[in-house]
Amino acid sequence: MPRRWGVLVVEDDSRARAFFEASVQRSPRLFWLGSAGTVQEARSWLAATATIPDVLLVDLGMPDGTGLDVIRDAVARFPGCEPLVVSVFGDEENVLASIEAGAVGYIHKDAAPEDIAQTIVEMKAGASPISPMIARRVLAKYRSLQAAVPGTAGAAPAETALDETDRGLLSAREHEVLTLIARGFSYAEIARLKGLSVHTVQTHIKNLYGKLAVHSKSEAVFEATRLGLLSHPG
Amino acid sequence: MLRRLAFLCLLGLAALLSAGGAAAGETQGPIELRHARVTTTIDGVVQTEAVDLSYHWDRRHRGRTGFASFELPFRVETLPEVPWGVFIPRAGSVFEVQLNGALLQSYGDLGQGNRADYAKAPVYVPVPGRLLKEGENLLQIRIRADSERRAGLSRVTIGPATPVRTALFEGAYAWRFTGSVLLTAFSLIVGSIALALWFTQVDTGATGRRQRDALYFWAAVAEFCWALRVADAMIPEPPLPWQLWGVLMAGCYAGWAASAMMFCYHLADWAQSPRTRWVRWPTAAVVVGTVVFTWLALNREEPRWLTAWLAVEITIVLGFVAAFAVATVRRPSVERLLVAGAALVTVAFGTRDWLVIRLSDAYGETTWVRYSSVMFGVALLLIVLRRFHFASVQARGWVKTLADRVAQRERELASTYAELEEVARDQARTHERERILRDMHDGVGSHISSAIRQLQSGQTSPEELLRTLRDSLDQLKLSIDSIHLPPGDIGALLAALRYRLEPRLAAADIAFEWGVDELPPVTQLDAHATRQLQFLLFEAISNVLQHAHASALRIEADARDGAVRLRVIDNGVGFDATEVPEALSKRAAAIGARLAIESRPGRTVVQLVFD
Repeated sequence: MPRRWGVLVVEDDSRARAFFEASVQRSPRLFWLGSAGTVQEARSWLAATATIPDVLLVDLGMPDGTGLDVIRDAVARFPGCEPLVVSVFGDEENVLASIEAGAVGYIHKDAAPEDIAQTIVEMKAGASPISPMIARRVLAKYRSLQAAVPGTAGAAPAETALDETDRGLLSAREHEVLTLIARGFSYAEIARLKGLSVHTVQTHIKNLYGKLAVHSKSEAVFEATRLGLLSHPG
Repeated sequence: MLRRLAFLCLLGLAALLSAGGAAAGETQGPIELRHARVTTTIDGVVQTEAVDLSYHWDRRHRGRTGFASFELPFRVETLPEVPWGVFIPRAGSVFEVQLNGALLQSYGDLGQGNRADYAKAPVYVPVPGRLLKEGENLLQIRIRADSERRAGLSRVTIGPATPVRTALFEGAYAWRFTGSVLLTAFSLIVGSIALALWFTQVDTGATGRRQRDALYFWAAVAEFCWALRVADAMIPEPPLPWQLWGVLMAGCYAGWAASAMMFCYHLADWAQSPRTRWVRWPTAAVVVGTVVFTWLALNREEPRWLTAWLAVEITIVLGFVAAFAVATVRRPSVERLLVAGAALVTVAFGTRDWLVIRLSDAYGETTWVRYSSVMFGVALLLIVLRRFHFASVQARGWVKTLADRVAQRERELASTYAELEEVARDQARTHERERILRDMHDGVGSHISSAIRQLQSGQTSPEELLRTLRDSLDQLKLSIDSIHLPPGDIGALLAALRYRLEPRLAAADIAFEWGVDELPPVTQLDAHATRQLQFLLFEAISNVLQHAHASALRIEADARDGAVRLRVIDNGVGFDATEVPEALSKRAAAIGARLAIESRPGRTVVQLVFD
């Protein structure tokens, strides 16, 4: 019997809460931990809970603040907790902000109930969704960071792959995968094109999420690293 | 009166000297020879008389030419062991010196009149010791006197070279000769500066005519005239006969005076007003009158004519200077005050010179004007310095004003630029609002209103209603995606479209195939046209979902020969390709894409080409 994942939902709309609860209850792989209607409530729950939540579903627009705070709080308290953002549109700004706060993915509010449970289970198994629009944004950010480090701008990605992992930037493979995603290819198509397994592709994306979170969390450390690089180009 | 005073002084000096000689009893001091026996020859008439020196020829003979022989006896007690010499402060026009019948020195040729003039500088004649005798000696000085040249003989001093040469002669020589050299040099320098200024300082006035400052011109003329006039003291043998040279020198003197007056004339701005412009004519009269009367006086041997004319000239100059002084008091400035002061002093000196040189019997006096003339030069230099200082201050002011103006312009530009930017931002916001409104109208709005109609008609199935609402939500998502879509990036557009619509195709059991190459940006598509293309493709895929009953849908895109080709292909039932849906054809035309549709059962291709 595989492990069942405990789910906490932070959502101010009671109908949506009921919908998520129903979705979770219906899945044999998940169990319902509870729900919170405000940021305050959610943080109190996190402070008081005896059960570590495996999955956090967070709506960003809360009446008393932003769901990003709940994500940061949960990740800080429980490193094993994986937050997912509930988004109507899956639009770039909100998703990127959530990822930088520590979210590992997002689900669409209009998804079918079974799809929601499915997404959560897949996420726990190592999958991470990413849209071509977000991939494009991440690539653009990567390019601007590269431009800011002149010494590495001309270097071939394969040669500097190891260094770039250390720096919190993209590896050559991640870059390749991201580029294909931005061009509209599905994970399965990328796996076929590059001779990888779908799981490997998903792992790359999930690693990427982690890097984005680390990057935003320690901007100062990143800057120091970048300055260090400036004095040791190549 | 003056003569008597001088006589008393000399008497005292002689007494002092003889007392000294008696007390010391060793060496004899200098002897001043004050009395002479003179034999004159004028037009063949010979006269002999005893005279007291000085002997002013022109006064005694009213400017006639002639010869004179002075016998000056003196007594030597013991033959001196030191060298002796004769100091003659002034003698002329040409002369020779004899002692006890032996010729000591001759200055000029006694046989030629109106040429050399040795009265200009004092002379010292060394006396060979063997010519002196104990007891009575006789010094003889023979002169040839030209008219109007201040010929004659001053008192003569004979005695040991020290102090006769070292004290008396050298002091007098320094005043008369060296002083003239310095004055000439000064005048030449100032004149050259003024001339250089006149040449270089060219103003382009309001009329656009290039104008030089007449002030500098007249200053230069004045200084050059004066340099020549003063240099005369260093030229014992002038290159012209006296009648011409004398006229030239008097002309220089008058030219200096007239130029200095013209200098004042311009300084007082009299040239600006027609009421004062006539003042130029008296100054011209000063020059013309002087030349004419000097010529007459020298050729007719009538010194009184020139003396009378000089009185007239002094009156004219005095009147002019008085007018200038009044003008200065009325409108004072440092420049005018300086020049007015110099002019007043010079006129006073000129009057004194006229009295002493032309009227009195004083012989051996020099003019004072030659020293006061320096004040004009100094005044001119101060004026120039002040002008250049003022000009540089003004230039600095202009530079500052210019800098201020540039800064002001920059501020204005910056504020204008900020305003323009604000306008541009407003315009961008307006465009954005229009775009959103259009989006809502064409997309979500139309879907929601059709959902309402479906509900109101009561004939719709929940599936149809669901599809309409899903369309509406998908449109909204595409609309949000399009905000960040780079205009003309068809690759990004297709990727987003696939991401949004694939779940629905999957739900409808339609297999999806992806055949999109890397595409170059299509520059003809702006943000609005890109959004239109998104609508168009959404429409095409929506048609497949609703009507085609297809089991597979393929999207292809490639770029060939600079043209980008898009194709939506399905294997559905097809439709009449001659009746192109209006929603597609209108939008394709609007964004400048060539639309081609082929359809038969099992294969329908909607193709867009961007050239």
